[in-house]
Amino acid sequence: MSDTIIKNKDTVLNEFDQPVKGVSLMQDAWRRLKKNKMAMFGLVTLIFYTIISLSAPLLPIHSYKQQVLGHQFLKPSLRPAGELMYERQDKLIRGMAAKEGRTELNEAEIKKLADLKASITTEKKVLLNGEEVLVHERVYPLGTDSLGRDLLARIIYGGQVSILIGLLGAITSVLIGVVLGALSGYIGGTFDSLMMHFVDIMYSLPYMLLVIIFMAVFGRAIQNLFFALAIVSWLTVARVVRGQIISLKNSEYVEAARSSGAGTGRIVFRHLIPNTAGVIIVYTTLRVPSFIMLEAFLSFLGLGVQAPFASWGVLIQDGVYAMTTYPWLLWFPAAAMTLFLFSMNFLGDGLRDAMDPQSKNKL
Amino acid sequence: MKKLLITLLMITVAFAVFAGGGKEEAAPTADPVVFSFNNGTEIQSLDPGNIEGVPEHRIYMALFEGLVSYDPATLDPIPGLAKSWSVSDDGLTWTFKLRKTNWSDGTPITAQTVVDSWLRFLSPELAAVYAYLPGMIIKGADAYNSGKGSADDVGIRALDDYTFQFELTGPAPYALGMLTHYAFAVVPMHVIEKYGDKWTMPENFVGNGPYTLTSWDPQEKIVMDKNPGYWDADNVKIDTIVAYPIEDENTSLNMYKQGDLDWVMTVPDAQLDSMKLDPTYVTNATFITYYYQFNTTKAPYDNADVRKALSMAIDRQELVDKVTRGGQFPAYGLTPPLANYPKVVAFKEDFDAARALLAKAGFPNGEGFPKATILYNTSEGHKKIAEYVQQKWKEVLNIDVTIENQEWATYLDNKQNQNFDIARAGWQGDYVDPNTFLTDLLYSTAGNNDGRYNNPKYDALLDKAATMPEGKARYDVLRQAEELAFSEDMALMPFYYYSTANWIDTNVWGGWTPTILDVHPWKGMFKK
Repeated sequence: MSDTIIKNKDTVLNEFDQPVKGVSLMQDAWRRLKKNKMAMFGLVTLIFYTIISLSAPLLPIHSYKQQVLGHQFLKPSLRPAGELMYERQDKLIRGMAAKEGRTELNEAEIKKLADLKASITTEKKVLLNGEEVLVHERVYPLGTDSLGRDLLARIIYGGQVSILIGLLGAITSVLIGVVLGALSGYIGGTFDSLMMHFVDIMYSLPYMLLVIIFMAVFGRAIQNLFFALAIVSWLTVARVVRGQIISLKNSEYVEAARSSGAGTGRIVFRHLIPNTAGVIIVYTTLRVPSFIMLEAFLSFLGLGVQAPFASWGVLIQDGVYAMTTYPWLLWFPAAAMTLFLFSMNFLGDGLRDAMDPQSKNKL
Repeated sequence: MKKLLITLLMITVAFAVFAGGGKEEAAPTADPVVFSFNNGTEIQSLDPGNIEGVPEHRIYMALFEGLVSYDPATLDPIPGLAKSWSVSDDGLTWTFKLRKTNWSDGTPITAQTVVDSWLRFLSPELAAVYAYLPGMIIKGADAYNSGKGSADDVGIRALDDYTFQFELTGPAPYALGMLTHYAFAVVPMHVIEKYGDKWTMPENFVGNGPYTLTSWDPQEKIVMDKNPGYWDADNVKIDTIVAYPIEDENTSLNMYKQGDLDWVMTVPDAQLDSMKLDPTYVTNATFITYYYQFNTTKAPYDNADVRKALSMAIDRQELVDKVTRGGQFPAYGLTPPLANYPKVVAFKEDFDAARALLAKAGFPNGEGFPKATILYNTSEGHKKIAEYVQQKWKEVLNIDVTIENQEWATYLDNKQNQNFDIARAGWQGDYVDPNTFLTDLLYSTAGNNDGRYNNPKYDALLDKAATMPEGKARYDVLRQAEELAFSEDMALMPFYYYSTANWIDTNVWGGWTPTILDVHPWKGMFKK
């Protein structure tokens, strides 16, 4: 491998007579991205989330929709549910006794506790998937919600829904926005003015109302939700991209391309859009959180994801109700979502720096 | 910018100074007694002809008074607008002597006002949901309400300015108790004629109750001040009542804990266990049933076997013990138990039988069962029950249902127009008699029969009971009807009878008594 540099007439040499290897925009960007620690952290976290979400059915977790009554509001713990349940019941009964001014428990209460203790080691339950288990031996590392469902499983499955809606929604809206915005900006004239008037009209319609009407007309399925969000959210992207394109379309490299005979499509998609990539990427990464938030809001109105499915928004919504007494119902979903959104923003920021064509070949 | 800041600062200071000055002047009079409570939701209207809910009833009790009103402790009818009454020997003709009282704008209330108010309530144009209540007992009222008769034939009349009389279709023993209901409200006809629909606006509003409307800021609060012209104003001890329409139970509970609210009826589910240990918690058995309604106009819910299968696949004891956890009682009939009317147990849970019934109806192991939706009005509590039912039906019957929440007004609208498969509902008895459940919810033409249950045999039994005098024989007929509706038809799917939950410090507020209807009249309440 020592003398592998093949010299031919196309090889470019620098001032020290060393060959300069040509790098594509993507290679260059990747090289610079690798140096950005925060962006790499974001990327790794995103990959981790994606793997967890995709492999959710294979993971050794409980079903996200299996309700186990009696296991409601158990605190996060690695101990079996039965023990926690017993402790809580014990505390409640003693509390009731204290309210009545007794220090000793009466017979009925002692028996109730004894029965509970006995049932912990013996009670079996057939789960939704047909499996029969000793139900009180289940362990809930992140606790349970108001119907005794495993919070860890719900966060993972909720993540599936939220990430899907966030990514697909953002990508779709950005794709539509970039194509229409770029064409509008480059072609100009009547096309541009019609396009922008259309955008104005869409802007003036209440955004939320449009989504709600859409959902009401086409039914409340997840794919409709995601489509409804995408069709009304490309407007800002289109505006931003159009502005960028207009400012770039008279620059020298465009003229150079045009004079060498490049067509509109080539100029727009090969020259102009890569030069606005920074703006687009930052915008896309910012859209993801807003889509996740929007979905949460729609779920609250009853137009989003419906039970027994969950999304992070729904979980946080449920957690807010229990905030003062069972705070982990809010903490864990909120932490999962916050970490994801942070990562998205770090990565977006890193990508913007990395893909800026102005910094080509710079470190 | 700096200038703006300075100006703002000066305005703030000026306000502080003036506000301080104002307070000093007002100091000598005693602080007015203000009672704030969470009414749970924004009310539909102030017009007694357009309301149907419990939150509206609380406001109605403050702003209006019918011929009779409630005794605060027993809820027995006591003189209101009428100071005395008599009934003919056959029990059909009731004569009321009215008090000489005025509307809050000074216009006198006469017997003719009562006649006009009742006729307005019955008029087909108003289409009041509760029009069937007077329709059921008053001669000619149903015919007029359904457009088949004229207003002149309704059996109500003014004998003179202060004597009012009505005739019943049969000797309904609960008639007097019914008169406390807003279906028999007396409304300011002179104001309604002048302003039309706008008469309920705060600036136009006129009432005759112990309180008058001071302001109504939708989604914020309703403020009602003591009515100085009320005939019994001496016994109205609280000066101002403020009703908040807070739907968020956390907000409501926090306000209660901070002392901004004096009375709340719900707390977040997650805090239920700890709030039950709170010293201000008051609970008692009550006259309310929680149930799911089937849309019997729609397949497959028109099939009694399907309804039975769905109903028998729920473990009600588990539901009340582990999901709702509020001390409710499982229901296998519709009417909550009364002293002389023990509860009907018309069916029992049986998962195997439920599966067999579903197979018989053409859906063995749930196969081919159309996609069903459970409709409920937005609330954490209803959602939890719906999710429980959703899982239970999947476990036992292997059918998939989705659950859908809607805001109160939309939900009511869809429910009334049979735009649902299965809908959550609760019913609070309007007076202490099984009739308020059996007729109001399941009689084929009743306005609240949103599932459109229709069985001529059932109607015939109720018609028979309506003409019978009070007593065991009548209760037996009602019982027979209730058993028919649930053992054979499963007209709807009962879950449980409520127990009330109120958080109010009875050491501070006197005159507030737990009652079976969970109705708490304002008059007679006082601050200790």
